[in-house]
Amino acid sequence: MKTPSFGTIRLILDDDTGWLELNSPPSNKMTMEFFREFAAALDFISNHKEFRALVIYGHGRHYSSGTDLPTLLEEINKNAGTDINGNLTEVPEFLSNNYRSLLLLESFRIPVISAIRGVCLGSALELALFSHFRLCGEDSVIGLPEASFNLVPGLGGIYKLCCIAGEVTALERVLKGSTFNAEDAFRYRIVDRIVPKRKLLEQAGEFAREVMNDFRIEKKNLYVKQFLR
Amino acid sequence: METINKISWEIKGDIGIITLDNPPENYLVQPEFVPLDTLRKWTSYDYLKGIIVCGAGKHFSGGGKLENLFKMIRNKEDIAEKIDKGKAVLDHIENLDIPVVAAIHGICFGGGLEVALASHIRICSANSLFAFPEINQGVLPGLGGSVRTTCKTGFPAALKLIMSGDMINAEDALELHLIDFISAKQNVFDYSFAFLQKLTRDRPLPVINAVMKALKNSRSLGIQEAMKEETRMFCELALSEAKRRNGS
Repeated sequence: MKTPSFGTIRLILDDDTGWLELNSPPSNKMTMEFFREFAAALDFISNHKEFRALVIYGHGRHYSSGTDLPTLLEEINKNAGTDINGNLTEVPEFLSNNYRSLLLLESFRIPVISAIRGVCLGSALELALFSHFRLCGEDSVIGLPEASFNLVPGLGGIYKLCCIAGEVTALERVLKGSTFNAEDAFRYRIVDRIVPKRKLLEQAGEFAREVMNDFRIEKKNLYVKQFLR
Repeated sequence: METINKISWEIKGDIGIITLDNPPENYLVQPEFVPLDTLRKWTSYDYLKGIIVCGAGKHFSGGGKLENLFKMIRNKEDIAEKIDKGKAVLDHIENLDIPVVAAIHGICFGGGLEVALASHIRICSANSLFAFPEINQGVLPGLGGSVRTTCKTGFPAALKLIMSGDMINAEDALELHLIDFISAKQNVFDYSFAFLQKLTRDRPLPVINAVMKALKNSRSLGIQEAMKEETRMFCELALSEAKRRNGS
């Protein structure tokens, strides 16, 4: 099948498994263009039954360093609706679209697996948290550093972290804003399995094949128990 | 320092300290252990970045004295209303948009444990003991303790704690997720104070408030609404950060 081509994403279908590569080297920053193309890619996948699983990963050594902050702040400053005192009255449409993409991803009836290696920060971790499963290479650097920039995660990261790791871990990790390693992420249940980073994509593909036939979103935790933990 | 109903309040830097101050066991005088209006006043200082709840002397708190409660019933006082007021106090603590840490040592029983469970983070010393002894008098935790326990430990463990009235130690409480951390230092107050300070000191209040609100939304709203709110709060902060960077 012919898959569309994008500037910041590479999407291929290989033997029933879709591979969505975040492709803006070196750190695969999630730019405005990325989010637009990501929405289009999700749209394409959801309209093609040939995709029976989806693996999301980053080009090269990293998953992604997250949003391109200066550009994002600029765009928000330009596009947000404000009253005469400069207070927010309306969230820019593109921001709402971004979190809707993550909700759409989560609602997929096919298993979505994030294969994390290198850095996975901010919005990138939010993307991973909205995937159904997370495999993580050793030596990965993970975190929600938004608070250190006087911000908070804005794409549902706090909500998801709270559901997955519990309120106290979410509070601590988000307020501190410091990064943590794969072992901590595993302990917090933020990742489901740690794998040698050279075998990351191979194992993600294998896991996709294992679960694609009888995947049910509602039973996600059973698959984690059966195959990953 | 202010004191009311054997509860004291002071502020150190930007951290407020609520001390259950009725030694030796720091029994809570009544369900509304601190008048809601007083608590509202204490917690409304707009420079506060966090609050610690702790016990004076050797213990956190032995909870309410059930004999007192039974006496009130004999005197035909309106118990349901008193308990509702107590619940409102705990809800106020839980809904604060700055983090509240319970620093626990010694006994933490019944109503005392319910106070700890309404806090956002529970840190205890290694010598702490936890129990819901209410069942021994034929009643159950009345200030939302059974609901909050179930959220933290899951149903089976909550059932066992509440139905048996048995005491558990710090390690077991950690294992059950009834508490979040065991203090690495002898003095749990110092440890908790440092923990809270480290968590909040480099963060401006709007960021702290946004995080706490987002966490509260995760408890109370559906995913759609919670995410919409999270994005809105992010956008508000991003807007002021953009202005700050542009020097306006």
